[in-house]
Amino acid sequence: MNTFMQNFPILAIMSLFLGAFITSLVARHSQKAGNFISALSVTLALGFILALFKPVMLDGQIITYWLGGWEPVAGWAIGICLEVDALSLFFGLIVTVAVFVSCLYSFTYMNHDDALPNYYTLFLMLSGSVLGLVLSGDLFNVFVMIEIMTFTAVALTAFRTSYEGALEGAFKYLAVGSLGSTGVLVGIALLYSQLHTLNLAQIAALMPVTQGSSVVLAIAFGFLFIGFGTKAFLFPFHPLAADAHAVAPASISLMISGVLTKCGVYGIIRLTYILFQNANRPVVSYLVTGFGAVSMFVCVTMAFNQHNFKRLLAFHSISQVGYVITVVGLSSALGLGAGLYHAMNHTIFKGLLFLTAGAVQHQTGSLDLDRLGGLSKRMPKTTALFLIGAASISGLPPFNGFASKWMIYQATFNAGLLHHNLFYLAVCVCALLTSVLTLASFIKVTQSVFFGQLPKEYEQVEEVPLAMRLPMWILAVLCVVTGLFPSLVQTYLLTPAVSAIANIPAYVDAAMGAGYAADRSVPGGVIASLPVTNTWTPTAWLALLFSVTCAVAIVAILGSPKDRQHEYISQMGEEESAKYDSFFSGEQAVYSQVGGSDLFWGFKHNWRKYFAVMHNWHSGIVNDYTLYGVAAIAFVLLVCVTTL
Amino acid sequence: MNILLYNLFYLLVFPGLLFCILMGVLLSGLDRILVARMQRRVGPPLLQNWYDFLKCMGKETIIPRHARRTVYLFAPVVGFGALITISLFLPVLNGKAAFSGNSDLVVILYLLTLVSVCGMVGASASGSPFAGVGLSREMVAMISYELPFVLVMLSVSLKTVALNPMGAPLTFSLTEIWNYQAAHGPLICHWSLIPAALAMLFVIPCEVGMHPFDVAEAETEICEGMLAEYSGKPLAVYKLTHMVKMYVMCALFYVLFLGGLSTGMAAVDVVIFVLVCALLTFLTMSLPHAVCARFKVEQVFQFYWTWVAALALVSLVLVFFGL
Amino acid sequence: MLMVNYLGCFALIALGFYCMITRHDLIKVVIGMSLVDYGANLLVVSVGFHAGGTAPIFTISELSRASFFVDPIPQALTLTSIVIGACTTAMSLSLCMMLNRQYGTLDTREIRRLRG
Repeated sequence: MNTFMQNFPILAIMSLFLGAFITSLVARHSQKAGNFISALSVTLALGFILALFKPVMLDGQIITYWLGGWEPVAGWAIGICLEVDALSLFFGLIVTVAVFVSCLYSFTYMNHDDALPNYYTLFLMLSGSVLGLVLSGDLFNVFVMIEIMTFTAVALTAFRTSYEGALEGAFKYLAVGSLGSTGVLVGIALLYSQLHTLNLAQIAALMPVTQGSSVVLAIAFGFLFIGFGTKAFLFPFHPLAADAHAVAPASISLMISGVLTKCGVYGIIRLTYILFQNANRPVVSYLVTGFGAVSMFVCVTMAFNQHNFKRLLAFHSISQVGYVITVVGLSSALGLGAGLYHAMNHTIFKGLLFLTAGAVQHQTGSLDLDRLGGLSKRMPKTTALFLIGAASISGLPPFNGFASKWMIYQATFNAGLLHHNLFYLAVCVCALLTSVLTLASFIKVTQSVFFGQLPKEYEQVEEVPLAMRLPMWILAVLCVVTGLFPSLVQTYLLTPAVSAIANIPAYVDAAMGAGYAADRSVPGGVIASLPVTNTWTPTAWLALLFSVTCAVAIVAILGSPKDRQHEYISQMGEEESAKYDSFFSGEQAVYSQVGGSDLFWGFKHNWRKYFAVMHNWHSGIVNDYTLYGVAAIAFVLLVCVTTL
Repeated sequence: MNILLYNLFYLLVFPGLLFCILMGVLLSGLDRILVARMQRRVGPPLLQNWYDFLKCMGKETIIPRHARRTVYLFAPVVGFGALITISLFLPVLNGKAAFSGNSDLVVILYLLTLVSVCGMVGASASGSPFAGVGLSREMVAMISYELPFVLVMLSVSLKTVALNPMGAPLTFSLTEIWNYQAAHGPLICHWSLIPAALAMLFVIPCEVGMHPFDVAEAETEICEGMLAEYSGKPLAVYKLTHMVKMYVMCALFYVLFLGGLSTGMAAVDVVIFVLVCALLTFLTMSLPHAVCARFKVEQVFQFYWTWVAALALVSLVLVFFGL
Repeated sequence: MLMVNYLGCFALIALGFYCMITRHDLIKVVIGMSLVDYGANLLVVSVGFHAGGTAPIFTISELSRASFFVDPIPQALTLTSIVIGACTTAMSLSLCMMLNRQYGTLDTREIRRLRG
């Protein structure tokens, strides 16, 4: 193995942490220098991770790095190790790209705020901890990184302390999120008490073949699952995400939804497929898929009630993560591929949407769906970017959301078919339905923020500067590219990552030395490799869609008159221009604005009882949220103890 | 070169643009005549909708002051393009579609969604409050029929699923559905799928936006809703989209439940297909149009999520248990 | 003997949860969080404990086959997690202070502008 390459994971992590340190020193004297350092460290991290792409993704190597050179002695891992297999690198790529974009966006977006040195220090620490988490090969390191992550995320959530609710959101995040951290810590302790090691590879190797032999391990699984689930904001923990997202700066919302939740997803995948590969498979599947499906559905309906742009996006964020968790739980290669694909796409399109929300907030100072309107006149480019993001998240072809949702439907349907299981079919219906409801929400945002009538107070709003549009364009282009070439994504990203999950002995041997897995008869893996046949090939009919659209566009548009409305108004005077007025049937324009919360009455009316119950449950009281969290812990533990 | 020509033929003539427009115009004209006859009127000529379309094309396109010009003009066109693309996936003749993949049904589902979304975004961009109400209702209608539609889709796929050479299931493939029907008879003859077929018959008028379910375009309440501000060519394209959608939905029903039949002569097959479409138009669109008054928005939702969804669900459960 | 530790740590965690769920004062919620933390720390340190073991300090002269000491790793982990717990407490208390300044109360039932 290339020893030079081996240093890249630690260099990537350290460049972020060192960047945080140096920024905090430098930025007090010159903000420009601070910005430069942060940009540099983020770019370096991205570069190091990209450099690992070829050996890990293409050549299938697993790169290990033992901190301080403490390699395993006599079959026991005594040092701390970084182990980068394709799964880790997949998430590492997501993380670094999102961090890069978010950092780029922050430079302009945050320029009105004070205490910027703190912002960049915390931001880089957050990035470093997340990267450390996904690249780590040591369970306790994972815990430490989770804690740093939660910490910095909480601090950044509360960064705009004067913003209404910022402190409140941060406190809830910290208090209820601490249940998750406790879960991870207790899980680690229990695991250690049984296996006497913290190295992920060694745990995977030593895990007893029959899970039923140890109740303690079952409890450990439950605690770890709920711990990572909290970090992914799964069902009973979703109010935290909503609160935190809504009040955090948009660049941080991107980090929370695009990066932090992915850590939870990564943790759940590692936990269920590699550490506890011998656990009772159907139960684990039901548990993971069930939690995912419930989050998926509950959060999408919660989004209907929202009046705040970013809070609405936050609920959708959890809903999409619910999709990911749902399919990840299916224990099939297709499901894992779909989950990873959707995880990646979610980071891209949800990042884009949060950034557009940030752009709207930056220019208008408001996120209220009932007060905004008609911004497409003033911010046409942001509108175009938003529409790309909205189409992606709603899964409209040809954007990336469609490609991954397509795989999700296939995976859930196949699971129902192959296991002859009605539950998975119900999940499939639920997934299809959630997609429509997602679409409805985004139609609502489109109507109430970007189209409709422009309120008087926003008539002077201007387009965001290029420095903020550039990061959005990066994400928008990624949305289209990953949607148009799913086979490339499958070949170069998904297949290696899924194969890495499928090949546990390789993971064990890479850390513990060749032959270690064979000596302890580690099973080959829960799932087979990803079949190549299940790709969606959009290019053929995409070309068609394109040509059809072009053909019709020529007919319909070329013949249409030029935009003469303004000429008319100037030439003909006011009477003539009246025909360009919208029809209000006698009402005054100010009274006839259709606000965001007026939409979808027919749907909300029929579900009013459900919505009332949900509204009461999301009471905003920390104690209630803690209660839901503890109830979830109790439920998961009960399931684990009785069935694993 | 040949392939390109073939594709162009598929795209522009059959089963694409020209055939779609022809069928759409004929079916919508037939619908109007049938409704008129049921109401003891004479009704317009068969091609009346085509004349209307041509007239609209000749009118001035007025872009309202509040409208966002690009979106306002392009949304109808993109929607129409998506609709034509759907027709290329339907194996209406001998089970051969111009394009087929392993999941046509999902693609069709989403393309149908795309057609509606284009309408909604266009309406939204026109800046009219009536359009706002209209798109809200259209979305609710869409949520309403989506559940039964999805259930129908799953039960049909579950019934006809085949395994590919590698043992992985081939699902949602229209070609497979056609092949299954060619081997086992049309799906409507399988009693476990009759509820699903009924549900699908109910889905058609709502998807098209025909009279008892046309909550989104209710002229008397919200001034044509989504089309309130549209005029001239974009309006013409919308009208055409509406007509072609009638045909596409009928054809989809044909492929899902009446496929697999072939006399060996293409011309006869086409005639049968046209007749079946006409019959479906009568059953699903003209008859309810003449008989029912328009539903309220919340009634549409209730109806589809209880009765129609229950029908489809019965089929799904029956098929699931191998019946 | 060790059973007491295990019972104690789970009792502490349960008490902490109880405190977090039922107390409406933010400071008491923070106390609950700390209790949960202490419980977890106690668990970690108990896991590495062997009855009769000595402190895990290598001094070359005394090391022999017979020397028997407690597992050092959990102790290191506990130290780390105590530090983290202290940070959490500090952070949440500072948030409480600012919340009190902004909302004029520490009652969780009134600090609920974000809801629904």
